[in-house]
Amino acid sequence: MKTLRAYLSTLLITALIITSLPVAAAPTTDHSMDLVSTQSVLAEDNAGADRERINAILARADVQDQLLKQGVDLDEVDARVAALSDAEAQQMAEQLEMMPAGAGGGVIGALFAVFIILLITDILGLTDVYPFTR
Amino acid sequence: MFLNNMLTNARFAGVFILLLLLSACARNPVLLQSTYQALPPHTEITSVPFYAQTEFQCGPATLAMVLNHQGVDTDVEELIPQVFLPERDGSVQPEMLATVRRYEHLAYPIRGTMDALLGHLAAGDPVVVMQNLSLPIFPMWHYAVAIGYDLPNKTLILRSGEIERHTMSFSRFDATWARTERWGFVVAKPGTLPARITARNALEAISAYEETQGPRATLSSWQAFVARHPSNAMGQFALGNALYADQQPDAARKAFRRATELDPTMGAAWLNLGLVLAKLEALEAAIDALTQAASLEGSWQQQARLALEALK
Repeated sequence: MKTLRAYLSTLLITALIITSLPVAAAPTTDHSMDLVSTQSVLAEDNAGADRERINAILARADVQDQLLKQGVDLDEVDARVAALSDAEAQQMAEQLEMMPAGAGGGVIGALFAVFIILLITDILGLTDVYPFTR
Repeated sequence: MFLNNMLTNARFAGVFILLLLLSACARNPVLLQSTYQALPPHTEITSVPFYAQTEFQCGPATLAMVLNHQGVDTDVEELIPQVFLPERDGSVQPEMLATVRRYEHLAYPIRGTMDALLGHLAAGDPVVVMQNLSLPIFPMWHYAVAIGYDLPNKTLILRSGEIERHTMSFSRFDATWARTERWGFVVAKPGTLPARITARNALEAISAYEETQGPRATLSSWQAFVARHPSNAMGQFALGNALYADQQPDAARKAFRRATELDPTMGAAWLNLGLVLAKLEALEAAIDALTQAASLEGSWQQQARLALEALK
């Protein structure tokens, strides 16, 4: 009985050591032998690719929130975020509020003064708001 | 009374100054002499289909036009949920580019000059342009597809809004285009690189495609890039990575080697060359390359040192 217990415990100890070893060792050895990606060189991020990655992931979560708030369908949000490159995701996360959104419709008719100014600038050839000026 | 007079005067002065400022930008855009010499006087890519925009859907409509022109099967209805932002009543630039990639095509931003725009049209590539049709204080952002021009008459031809063939003087167009910092892009299939795209814009566009579609789908585009810009070290480096991902380590090694020859200070190229050589079991050569990488200051120095230690 005693010998069996001794035998079992040595077996357990070696098993534990063997299974725990690769987990501890894997990250350092694997990482240094990975090729540098084209994207991280283009980004020229001196703080390293890891921080870049983390920022990109955070930016994506941010963009997801913002797209939902802007009224995009829940089913579409994931696909739209996935279609962005890291750089585009960061750009969207930082400046979506200020970004121009091409719409091209809706005559700005709020103020008569605005109408007059744009009419004049249209005639002067500076804008293209009212096609009937030509 | 006096005060009232002053105010009216001030208002007139303000309007006068405003008009003066505006007329300063109403100049005709000056084209390079080479543009007149090299480009045909008239061009119109009539094969671009037309979809009239409804409501605020100029983004989806322009995408449908250029994608259909490339032979992609899609339409405005399908594109609306992919690119339109309901609360903003419009579509933003990064998503315009991203949506093109969802249809397995590349979106290449163009250089923002009239000469570049006309050059793309002459080469047969319709250009999606972003304009502010109104003034910066009351912006009216708009996407349209430039499809042709008439050099002697200085007019541009666009598929725009509800107008199938909108002709616009160069000066009016350039005034509206300048307000978006002359933003525009052309669309191409993987493996083809449109004429006149700058190396930097091409690198970024292809790299963005690789991020979402993977290196194998992008390999042919890197090959096209390297054929166009054979002495661009970054292009060779990117090609090396795509070849490696495509299980062609020996071809990848050659591309990385070429990158280090073109730019001996490119640490990442030395590092990847060393790592590929190590995987090909050319240990001595691998150590040489990694030593070079470890001697160059920069982001990759640390990784090069670790890899070197692992090999020794």
